[in-house]
Amino acid sequence: MIRAYEKDVSWKAGALAIGVHVVLLAALLISFNWKAAHPVLNIAEVELWDSLPKNSVQKPERTPKPTPEPVVKEMPKPEPIAEENPEEAPNADIALLKKKQELEQKKLADQVKKEKALEQKKQLDALKDEVSKDQPPKDKKPVVQNDALKKLQQEALADDKSEGDKQAVSAKAAANAGVVGDYINKIQAKIRSNVNKTLCGEGNPELKFDIALLPTGQLSGSPKLIKSSGSGACDEAVERAIIVSEPLPLPEDKSLFSQFRSLKLKFRPND
Amino acid sequence: MAIAVDNDMSIFSLVAGASLPVQLVLVVLLITSLFSWWYIFIKVATIKRAETGADDFENAFWTGGDLNKLFEGLTASRRKSQGMASIFEAGFKEYTRHKHQPRMEISDLMEGSRRAMRAAYNRELDDLDAHLPFLASVGSVSPYIGLFGTVWGIMNAFRGLSNVAQATLSQVAPGIAEALVATAIGLFAAIPAVIAYNRFASSVDRLSVRYESFMEEFTNILQRKS
Repeated sequence: MIRAYEKDVSWKAGALAIGVHVVLLAALLISFNWKAAHPVLNIAEVELWDSLPKNSVQKPERTPKPTPEPVVKEMPKPEPIAEENPEEAPNADIALLKKKQELEQKKLADQVKKEKALEQKKQLDALKDEVSKDQPPKDKKPVVQNDALKKLQQEALADDKSEGDKQAVSAKAAANAGVVGDYINKIQAKIRSNVNKTLCGEGNPELKFDIALLPTGQLSGSPKLIKSSGSGACDEAVERAIIVSEPLPLPEDKSLFSQFRSLKLKFRPND
Repeated sequence: MAIAVDNDMSIFSLVAGASLPVQLVLVVLLITSLFSWWYIFIKVATIKRAETGADDFENAFWTGGDLNKLFEGLTASRRKSQGMASIFEAGFKEYTRHKHQPRMEISDLMEGSRRAMRAAYNRELDDLDAHLPFLASVGSVSPYIGLFGTVWGIMNAFRGLSNVAQATLSQVAPGIAEALVATAIGLFAAIPAVIAYNRFASSVDRLSVRYESFMEEFTNILQRKS
């Protein structure tokens, strides 16, 4: 490590070396402001929606269902109670029993009232839950949230993602996604029925096509092959099938068409 | 994965939070840095001592005193003579030893003392060159070690980023800062090592030239004397 003639300076040199490092550390600690200052920000999160109408159309089908039902249920309930009362009242003809009856009635009424109140409360809670589940009540509105809510949302988002990012649509559009998925399946089924499967041979080749659609279900331009199955004959067979399948089935709801303008379709002719 | 909003970015928490390879790199770099500074200070002291020794000896030698007296003074001192003095000692010892032998050719005498001085000179030069290879390799390698630690740390930081839906800078910033500490320490070790290496190399060169010219001049003087 060190030579004999260096021994007398080695201690001094070692002390100096350690001193240099202490100075460096001190410089690091003093010159930098290591405490990261995080000013509390009022973060307003804004969700941007690509196309608004597709939600407003789909929404009434889904959300109103749970809401009116409780209201309907709520209404008839008081009615039978109201009927009950007059029914019981005439029955109590005997004067002696009248008092008793009245008392009972009162009790009953109280109970009914209580039940009613409870029911209402439950319904309200359920409603609230419903509303909070369907988070953005009126879409396209910037949602201002506090930090806690923000964290929650982030977690929810992370969950969504981990579930397998099927589509980068929020929970609201999930319903639409179902419809869209349905129609994509229909399109695929129609095309598949037209594929000459013998051309694709044995095995299970997979191919992908990118097609562009017009609102009428007609193709705009020719389908583009993204991923070949490996055999040209098979690719051509599928391409012919796509062209033959015109017009392709599209949802009646025109607002959903934006999702069909350009489609990436996967085919497994031998499936 | 919630965002750690109140992350305390002190250098200790940064190092403690780093992944194991990064910590290893930091430890290795810190040790090399300590050693290189230690050698730098040792070299500064020893080269300075060799220079002042050469100055002192040249003063004593060229004032024209008796060479025998000078030699006796050197051998009488308890410490082993170093630098130019040891070259002189080796040459003069060889010279006096052969001088008393009869039937010795002058050229042989000169050759003998010259060989002795050359051997002493090589030993001195070896001492002067000590630790310089270490400084050279620290200067060239430690930036790479630091870079390795940084790349590793940044890889980690970005991998962590892939797990969150909304990527924010505050999620990668601590990782990158901690990774950059490795580069900083690597550079801190390398820069002084390179500077010191170059300085010491030139000092050693100058000293060796001085020693060599002294050897030539001393041979001349011995030849004149015999």
